[in-house]
Amino acid sequence: MGENNIILKIKTLSKHFGALKAVDEVSFEVKKGEIVGLIGPNGAGKTTLTNLVTGASPKTAGKVIFKDLDISNLKPYQIARNGLTRTFQVVKPLIGMTVEENVLVGSLFGRDKRNTDMKNASKRAREIIKLVGLESKKDSSVSDITLPDLKKMEFARVLAMEPEVLFLDEVMAGLNPAEVEEASILVKRVRREKELTIVYIEHIMKAVMGISDRIVVLHHGRKIVEGTPQEVVNNSAVIEAYLGKRYTKEVNNEG
Amino acid sequence: MVLNNKKVNIFLLIIGIILFIFLPRFISGYWVRVITTIFMYAVISQGINLMSGYMGYLPFGNAMFFGIGAYVTAIGMSKGLPFLVVVPLAAITAILFSIIFGLPVLRLRGHYFAIATIGISGALLSVVQNATEITGGAMGTTLPIIDKSPEITYNYFYLAMLALMVITTLTIYLVIKSKFGFGIRSIKANEEAANSMGINTTYHKVTAWAISALFTSIAGALYAYWMSFIGPEEVFDVMIAVNTIVIMLIGGAGSILGPIIGAFVIELFSEVVWSSFLEYHLAVLGITIIIIVFFVPKGITGTIADFVKKRELRLRKKVSV
Repeated sequence: MGENNIILKIKTLSKHFGALKAVDEVSFEVKKGEIVGLIGPNGAGKTTLTNLVTGASPKTAGKVIFKDLDISNLKPYQIARNGLTRTFQVVKPLIGMTVEENVLVGSLFGRDKRNTDMKNASKRAREIIKLVGLESKKDSSVSDITLPDLKKMEFARVLAMEPEVLFLDEVMAGLNPAEVEEASILVKRVRREKELTIVYIEHIMKAVMGISDRIVVLHHGRKIVEGTPQEVVNNSAVIEAYLGKRYTKEVNNEG
Repeated sequence: MVLNNKKVNIFLLIIGIILFIFLPRFISGYWVRVITTIFMYAVISQGINLMSGYMGYLPFGNAMFFGIGAYVTAIGMSKGLPFLVVVPLAAITAILFSIIFGLPVLRLRGHYFAIATIGISGALLSVVQNATEITGGAMGTTLPIIDKSPEITYNYFYLAMLALMVITTLTIYLVIKSKFGFGIRSIKANEEAANSMGINTTYHKVTAWAISALFTSIAGALYAYWMSFIGPEEVFDVMIAVNTIVIMLIGGAGSILGPIIGAFVIELFSEVVWSSFLEYHLAVLGITIIIIVFFVPKGITGTIADFVKKRELRLRKKVSV
């Protein structure tokens, strides 16, 4: 794979809150079409990193290059229009609108949508609602649907924006095992159909292993390991970060 | 059903407008003036509805655009410009002010924005009071009087204000139904999510305020010409905004007919009841706000809509059983 395949470059990105280094010189690259898992224990800096990349919070240092374009200083809406978008760990539905209207907003304002008219946007919104299986709920108010449906709605909303790179921030959080399974299948299927590049953020390692091509592990704001799921699960630094030092020995002895 | 809802609504609206056009023939001059005021409040309230009801930014200082409209009209006409030339000037001035102040102030959210607009409004009032050579200062200023009988003059302003109310309402209706409208409704729902979805929130907020300023300033321009005398404390009065906010809340915030219905209810109510205990005007207004917020948070239109929805659901259930 050549240099051209790299769609997103994160270069020594940092975010400091006073003395706390929430994200500390993190660098990694994402190739077109792959799913990169971004994992780490709670408080590792995954969501902060997502906020930095998507422009939601200002960075202390570092650069983000998306499709050869330096997006480090762009606003969230500009980054979204360029084709890099995200979901939120805590769902942010547009209250007071129906499911269909929520998705419509995505299809009206997403990537390259400057000239989108209502008719085309509505058509695309309905197609995507069908794709994620929310047809029966499309006229419901977002205040009246369940959490799994809200997550589907949010997923539909970002898909309607037709992104190239999608940051999924803990989309599985709050779902039961059966729902996690269903959601994983959906993500995989949609990714194939839409040729999406996904950065998949999770703190549950199990959820991310089956789906990712490559995994980046954050701990205390630093990148500690990067590799295939196999390499990552057997890495002692990762085990230490998740379970503590005591377990590193035990796991190694057993292995 | 042969007629769809939309066609029925358009038909009813046209009938309503025609009735209002001919209404002055059947009522006294006093009531013509009362209803002209109602139209005016509906226009100002519609500007607040766009900002607050649809976008979630309460523009407490919106009276400043009313004042700007009134004063640009007074100054322009005292220099001999005709009314129809002065009105666009008033509107452009108000729009410029909304952009200049909007760019910094619309970064503030919630109460902070509301308070900042009151501050600007107060500052403008001060400027107008002290720039005596241009504005006539705190004493106020006069406008040319129309050389016709009072009855004809009042009918003329009645029709002009009615036209302004209809145009304002139609424009805001079209704005809300457009892509831009989805943008501002998303800002109210969740500004952070809106921004992440590709909505240029700054552009949307400033443009919405400019539209609000446009119609509010034209109402001010008509008011100045109608009264033929204006004072700074009167046209920059924060109570203009407070009144129209109450009107919006009573009628239904975020509903296109809310401000019109609210204006009629509040103003007719105040004509009939408040005239008997004028001193308690503010107290009654305050209590009214509290009652609305607690008991009918969706206003008249919202409550009716909920009622209709519930009835439809009940009917549907009966049918399916």
